[in-house]
Amino acid sequence: MQNLIRYLCKWELALVLLLIIELIVFGSITPGFLNVGNILYSLNDFVYIGIAAIPMTYVILTGGIDVSVGAVMGLSSITAGVIWSHGANIWIAVIIALLATVVGGLINGLIVAFTGVQPLVVTLGTMFLYSGIALVISGGSSASGYEGISGFPENFVQLANSTILGIPNPIILLIILMAFFGAVLHFTPYGRHVVLVGINIKAARYSGIRTRWTVVSTYLLAGLGGGLGGLILTSYFGSARSDLGSEAILPVITAVVLGGTSIFGGKGSVIGTAIASIVIGFSQYGLQMASMSSEQTSVVIGVLLILAVVMRQGNWREIKRRLVSKKIPDNSKRGAV
Amino acid sequence: MDYDESPVLMKMKTVFKAFASQPVLQGVSLSLNHGEILALIGGNGAGKSTLMKIIAGLYKADSGDIEIEGEEVKFSAPADAHKKGVYLVPQEPMIFPNMTIEENIMIGMPVPPGVVRKRIKDEVKRLDWHLDTERLASTLSIAEQQLVEILRGLVRQADILILDEPTSTLTFGEINSLFKIVNSLTKEGLGVIYITHRFSEIFQLADSVAVLRGGVISLQGPVTDFTYKKLVEALMPIDKRSSGSEENHHSSMANTAMSTNEQPILSVHKLFGERFHDVSFDLFPGEILGVAGVVGAGRTELAEAIFGLAPWTSGTVTLLGDPIAKKSIRTRMNKGLVYVPEDRHSHGVFRIASIKKNMTSTILHRFKSIFLPFKKEKEITQEYMSALEIKSVGENAELSSLSGGNQQKVVLAKYLVTHPKVIILDEPTRGIDAGSREDIYKIITELQSNGLSVMLISSDIEEVVRLSDRVLVMYEGRIERIIKKQDLSIDAITSAAFGVKKEVVT
Amino acid sequence: MPFIIKLIKAREVSIMIFMAAFFIIAGAINPEFLTGSSLSLLLKSSMILLLLAIGQSFVLITGDIDVSVGSTMGLSAAVCGALLVNGIPFWGMCLAVLMVGLIIGFINGVGVAQFRVPAIIMTLGMLGIIRGAMLIFTGGKWIEDIPNYYKKLSSLDFLGLNLAVWIGLVIMVIIHLILTRTKFGRNFFAVGDNVEGARMVGLPVKRVKILAFMFSGISASFAALIFVMNIGFIPNETGSGIELQVIAAAVLGGVSLTGGVGSVIGAGLGAVFLTTISSSLVYMKVPAYWNNTISGFLLLIIVVGDAKLSQFVKNRTSRKSKFNKPVELDGKEGDSHAKSNKVLM
Repeated sequence: MQNLIRYLCKWELALVLLLIIELIVFGSITPGFLNVGNILYSLNDFVYIGIAAIPMTYVILTGGIDVSVGAVMGLSSITAGVIWSHGANIWIAVIIALLATVVGGLINGLIVAFTGVQPLVVTLGTMFLYSGIALVISGGSSASGYEGISGFPENFVQLANSTILGIPNPIILLIILMAFFGAVLHFTPYGRHVVLVGINIKAARYSGIRTRWTVVSTYLLAGLGGGLGGLILTSYFGSARSDLGSEAILPVITAVVLGGTSIFGGKGSVIGTAIASIVIGFSQYGLQMASMSSEQTSVVIGVLLILAVVMRQGNWREIKRRLVSKKIPDNSKRGAV
Repeated sequence: MDYDESPVLMKMKTVFKAFASQPVLQGVSLSLNHGEILALIGGNGAGKSTLMKIIAGLYKADSGDIEIEGEEVKFSAPADAHKKGVYLVPQEPMIFPNMTIEENIMIGMPVPPGVVRKRIKDEVKRLDWHLDTERLASTLSIAEQQLVEILRGLVRQADILILDEPTSTLTFGEINSLFKIVNSLTKEGLGVIYITHRFSEIFQLADSVAVLRGGVISLQGPVTDFTYKKLVEALMPIDKRSSGSEENHHSSMANTAMSTNEQPILSVHKLFGERFHDVSFDLFPGEILGVAGVVGAGRTELAEAIFGLAPWTSGTVTLLGDPIAKKSIRTRMNKGLVYVPEDRHSHGVFRIASIKKNMTSTILHRFKSIFLPFKKEKEITQEYMSALEIKSVGENAELSSLSGGNQQKVVLAKYLVTHPKVIILDEPTRGIDAGSREDIYKIITELQSNGLSVMLISSDIEEVVRLSDRVLVMYEGRIERIIKKQDLSIDAITSAAFGVKKEVVT
Repeated sequence: MPFIIKLIKAREVSIMIFMAAFFIIAGAINPEFLTGSSLSLLLKSSMILLLLAIGQSFVLITGDIDVSVGSTMGLSAAVCGALLVNGIPFWGMCLAVLMVGLIIGFINGVGVAQFRVPAIIMTLGMLGIIRGAMLIFTGGKWIEDIPNYYKKLSSLDFLGLNLAVWIGLVIMVIIHLILTRTKFGRNFFAVGDNVEGARMVGLPVKRVKILAFMFSGISASFAALIFVMNIGFIPNETGSGIELQVIAAAVLGGVSLTGGVGSVIGAGLGAVFLTTISSSLVYMKVPAYWNNTISGFLLLIIVVGDAKLSQFVKNRTSRKSKFNKPVELDGKEGDSHAKSNKVLM
């Protein structure tokens, strides 16, 4: 147990440190930054990234990837919007939209688990498919393309725009998801199955683990996460659009990887993902306060992503040796057999 | 072969190598003559592979000299070694599956394609191999892949061929062919360094032996100076030597009498599958049933079908009286049937997980609580670690930090924690050192004395003869013969494994 | 039968069949689609994707992936535009733009080969960095006022085909010949097929990987040159999102993401096919918003179908080879064994 905690803490601690450094740096550049209210509301702008990234952690843990999650966000948003605009109750629309995203995730999972086609290729295909369907739904209905559907009932809009005990609802949702998915991953047999499948799917099968079902379930959850993210965004903006979240895939994967999950699977943590998405959010917000446009801040995200991986993979002793003498053979790292 | 008169081909002096300040080689000196087959043996982690990789230019020695034909050489890449005529045939053939054989051989050679093509043709002809060089490498068997590797070396005009445990994935027939090839090569002056775990091969093939232990060559000399026993002693860690040899297992096992009246625990009836035909046999409680045969005889396929990894086309398998055709792997495991896979690395271990997580991977679903009972998990792990004498720093040690033998024990433990009644072992001692091998034999016999039934699939005939109560020999997907205990002999199994009509090959 | 299997296995052929079918359907609905002018327009508009797909193929064949190509194209286009607006001569501008791609590719390659950052992470990070760098470079403004001489290049035709099409085709054929006919080219396949093996036989693995990324970067710069030529101005979002289309095109054309398999001709065909789908919709009177749905659906069908087919072929081959007699390395059985396999190839 202690070892588990020690293992968990290592990278997460580094992330928290990074967060604190960010707060200090941005706080000293822009005086208004450290206002608690400001910070909490700034989180709202990117909390949907964290919501999608947390279940995505499971997918990447199994060694897969789901690039369709952005398209799923748009799909859930426009589905809810169109169903509502045709006269249904908004909550029923929301539930149907979530069901649609679950089906989307299920399709991803089934194709990945049963055809042996690489996850990246599968979800690339479904990304086009789902974003296309979202466009068709929005284009086929009376909704005018890019303006989207607005005028939602107040209680739906308040979902993402009100607070409980001063904390915005989306952040509460993020914390609940983090606690839930984190507990499931680290403390339940299912979570262990996900990790083992990620380390060696064949060995998992030979151990009697239902590997296909495990893989399918992670994509299903990722779809659900995309759906939740899309709906939170819809509520936050008060309008449903088919292209909502179309740019989300870079930050979502960045959050997962920066959070310490190995892109090859088998290693990672949900808490890391959650902290990483906050780190990314703060840096975006801070840079925007320092008068950079939100697109320009992607430089920082990109640098963070690459540095994080280099640092995690870095065999520091070797790098030092490499710097001292240039001629170390490339494979010395693999060690003796 | 009077290699004593031929000049020295390769000589290495006091080679040192350390990884991350952990010394692996501590002053290795070794020499190889023209036409000599030098067998290099040593326990796992003794540094055999490291040493060979240094000769082949994959690693760089920290210090020490290597001379080839009297000329000092320094390699910084495999290509340098190739230029000096050194070629390493790795344990797992390094094949490019999506290329043809010809392309596989040609790749990376600084010689015009036309010249290489001619050389390939010449070599293939000289050795009288029948090989279609236009075939795609992904269709080759492992033996054929190894052949391509050797060809690769020959076409590069290697003078020194290093074979790293070439037989660990080969079958008897393939091994014999390989030996013939190696012998014919050395007649032409090629020097061969032959790494192996199997002593019988040393006496069959090698001219001289070198033992690597504790980072130095502890013994070297002509093979005639050695006996089986002497080699075992040279390999054993000093503290283990007094524990005595395990030659007597066989007699102790004879006590476990098996009554034929008993109900079989596992019964296979007229089973047909893609790679096996009309297989029927019974496995009784407390019995060790050896399954011999060449690779490709359908043994692993049969075992995997029984375990539920692949379907069979017709026939029945009953476990404890119940047919299990439609049962999932998990259900079969719950009913007491487990299969310990042949390929430890890809099917057995979770490399970057702890020993604990490996061991409990098979029983996670049996924990009825929502959350994992960490304390219980730890207790189970520690219990099996001490029972199986798994050496490590603790139950949280990552599996990749363990030696091959200990990894294999963890895999075994992983299936034992399910409390099986029938255990199918597929090549349980492949590629592990002599010490661990004996440990595994001990475990197997203990399992038997606890009433477990064991199906032991092995290509090591000595192992099969030594442990089994009965041996089932498969040939081309069919049961060729079932040999009773009193008739067991290496010859009997070998002849059956190659089809009765064939002459026994030795 | 073996010939047919071989033919089906060559993805270039299967995608051409799909394309032919698509052309027939589209042509049946609206014959105008099959006229020379609309076809040459189609080719012209597919050249950006085609160039990017060729570059991407190098990276995919070596077993990596490059998702930064869209942003590299964006930055290259911005540099191109800025230099043209400031009156830098044509060749100097071209050189500078190509250097942009070259340098970015080099950085990607070093990150992947030297620092062992997984390719998808490295290039995803670079995607963000380059995109941001472009916006900082342009100050978030569109670049307009591209000199007319440059814009006019886009309407230059030789022998009925557009200049851009010629550039694309010539590059494709040259690269195809290099990849398939030279040792240098085979190295890319070898590295993607089996990295360890490549290292063992002495191939310069790192150099090959870095070169692959550099080719990908340069192809993005070429695409940018043509983009500026065709469009005549550079919006902020130039190249954004195109990386996934590029990968889709390459995969559609039979380039495997696991490395070692594929051809630039296939990738090029994939690019033309994707463009065909989007530009034929207008002729077929299907609303444009169906584009992604159809592309995604076809991609899935082809990829899944291909996986199933190769599984089937592999099963048939391996069943034969495994069931044969134990391989005699020097005997006659080995021979028959070889032949029985050959038939199924």
